[in-house]
Amino acid sequence: MKTNFAHLGPEERSVLARLKASLALRLAEEACAADAELQKRCPPNGIAMKLGIRGSDAPLRLQVPRTSSRRPSLLLFFPNTEAAVRVLSGAKGTAIPLPLGSGAFVALTFFRKALGRAAELLRSPDTSEETRAGLLLAATLYGLEAIAGESYLERRMQIIPDGVVGIRAGGIAYQVTKKGRTIHVQRDAPSAAASGSPHLDALLSFAGYRSAIDVLSGKRQAVVALGSGEVRVEGLLPLVQGLFAVLDRLSWYLGVEV
Amino acid sequence: MSEMADEKSTAAGMSGKRIDGSPSPRFAVSMAYFERAAKVIPGGIYGSKSPGFLVPGHFPYYLSRAQGSRIYDADGNEFIDYLCGYGSQIVGYGNPAVDGQALEQARRGDLLNQPHPAMVELAERLVGLVEDMDWAVFVKNGTDATTLATSIARADTGKQVIVAAEGAYHGAANWCSTNVFPVFMQAEQRDVRFFPYNDVQALEALFAANKGHVACVILTPYHHPTYRPQQLPTPEFTAAAERLCRAEGAYLIVDDIRANFRLDMRGSHRFFGIHPDMVTMGKALANGYPISVLLGTDGLRKTASSFFITGTYWMSAVPMIAALATLGEMERLGGTARLAELGRTLKEGLESLGKEAGFRARVSGPLAIPYLTFDEDSDLYLNQRFCAAMADRGVFMHPHHNWFISLAHTEEDIARTLEAAQGAFRELGSSSSLAAERP
Ligand SMILES: Cc1ncc(COP(=O)(O)O)c(C=O)c1O
Repeated sequence: MKTNFAHLGPEERSVLARLKASLALRLAEEACAADAELQKRCPPNGIAMKLGIRGSDAPLRLQVPRTSSRRPSLLLFFPNTEAAVRVLSGAKGTAIPLPLGSGAFVALTFFRKALGRAAELLRSPDTSEETRAGLLLAATLYGLEAIAGESYLERRMQIIPDGVVGIRAGGIAYQVTKKGRTIHVQRDAPSAAASGSPHLDALLSFAGYRSAIDVLSGKRQAVVALGSGEVRVEGLLPLVQGLFAVLDRLSWYLGVEV
Repeated sequence: MSEMADEKSTAAGMSGKRIDGSPSPRFAVSMAYFERAAKVIPGGIYGSKSPGFLVPGHFPYYLSRAQGSRIYDADGNEFIDYLCGYGSQIVGYGNPAVDGQALEQARRGDLLNQPHPAMVELAERLVGLVEDMDWAVFVKNGTDATTLATSIARADTGKQVIVAAEGAYHGAANWCSTNVFPVFMQAEQRDVRFFPYNDVQALEALFAANKGHVACVILTPYHHPTYRPQQLPTPEFTAAAERLCRAEGAYLIVDDIRANFRLDMRGSHRFFGIHPDMVTMGKALANGYPISVLLGTDGLRKTASSFFITGTYWMSAVPMIAALATLGEMERLGGTARLAELGRTLKEGLESLGKEAGFRARVSGPLAIPYLTFDEDSDLYLNQRFCAAMADRGVFMHPHHNWFISLAHTEEDIARTLEAAQGAFRELGSSSSLAAERP
């Protein structure tokens, strides 16, 4: 069932705004990692900026390249959750750029470009499967992280056992840690996919980028992909099943009309 | 057992090769049906029968027939079955006495305007058999029985709160299911409170926190949570549950739907020395024919009589005839003693084979309802690999749900199972160590 932003309660608005902000930043980062053109445009000492939303949680941070330790040069501030949701969904709305240091304007321009590029990459038929899978995985997993704490999910999160899930699709590897009412997402270096490093309570592997794309874009139901062997779950099943249930809530948020 | 896969073909055929998404030749027909199902049925196969609950690629998704202790999938593969229709088969698939009488009644008429006299006979039989119970109400699913039991407790006490153990399964209705949508939590699930099984202090604390509001405690006779080793009740725990209920004026319900008649013909409460006010039974009650029952003590008869209890199919005659026949067959085939004897051979065999192969494999729960887990792996990787390897060898053992022994299992079945287990444990041992293989 589609919902309009106007019908959301204050908590849902706040969660949606945070989700949109998180997705914007993560997709921008992902686009930078995938796109040579964008990398060329990035200043030599990198980009660091923050998004802040009044009525939502602490500011979220964009860091390009991911390893850079540069201090943020800009705070992009949204005066309310609706403005954040609108602007970050590509509609008109108020966003106030507050410079925090030199390079603020460059950071803002770069962020806009990167976000635009991420959307293009998701749309374009020419995007490689690896890039598309990477974008969708980032959007999904950081999406889970952004909504995990909301009260709608409280009981569900209680039932899901705590633990660490490894996610694998081709050379992409993530670790998703569920603890109490939080989900923490960490991208692993590709080598982690092969090595036997940290203890994982469960492992979710996609047969390849194509399967990841089909499942994460909703083209193929997860349970069906599981049944047909395109997705494999090993280890603590209720942990992964539980996350799929949280995923349903994420889809609901992503379907909210602005 | 001609259709049972030999070790060579299984190793080449299935194990761990499914991640490429290619259809498994062993389950080609199952897979084709599943693909079709996904288009017209949400999730393809929903609920506890969903392929993801097993180990996809190693288990069939569709079964076509069964006989005795064997099941045959849509591709014609044969398995020795230890799930027994999730416990509903107690005297074996296609038991001639049960099916013969049931089919005869089906020919004469099943769903009639008024109940068949067999309803009275079955009620009398159960009330005479199940310890301390004075009346019986027949329903279709276990969920109908547990829902009715908690409703009667609420109506009788005028109190709302239902107390249940964490991880216990009492059915798929909103009050007890894991469909934890807030809309249900604000309504049906709001007054259901949970405590860790066997934890007397937690149960006492729950009663104290809900003083004056507890209508009932619903407990399975022993704890059989999914994904976890099974736990038998401590005498202190059951005594505390009884004491707290009596002191609070709340009712004690024993949900015997899963263990039904596998531990004691007088009810599992008798086996564990529990004294409930109501007992629910189902699953094995009629060897798979659809019927469940709520039994209660005299004190609740009046309230039960004042309930409007009905369902279109609830009084169909065939399952009642089948239930009567099942009780007879249970006795003829050796009853609970025989189940325990078979279960003991299986348990001891599996544990010792596991040990030989270097694993801490442990069979928990009552002998007739065993479940194997590995003490070194609470995440169940080894369970999944073991059960997959067993399925490759033609033995259906669920990796995440307890197993069942039936009176159709034979010593030969158990011997073949243990032979397969030896191969499976070896395969587990040789597929490098758990820690090294884990990413
Ligand atoms: C202990 C227990 N209670 C209740 C039920 C629900 O029974 P049904 O699935 O017939 O509704 C089950 C089913 O597995 C059960 O094991």
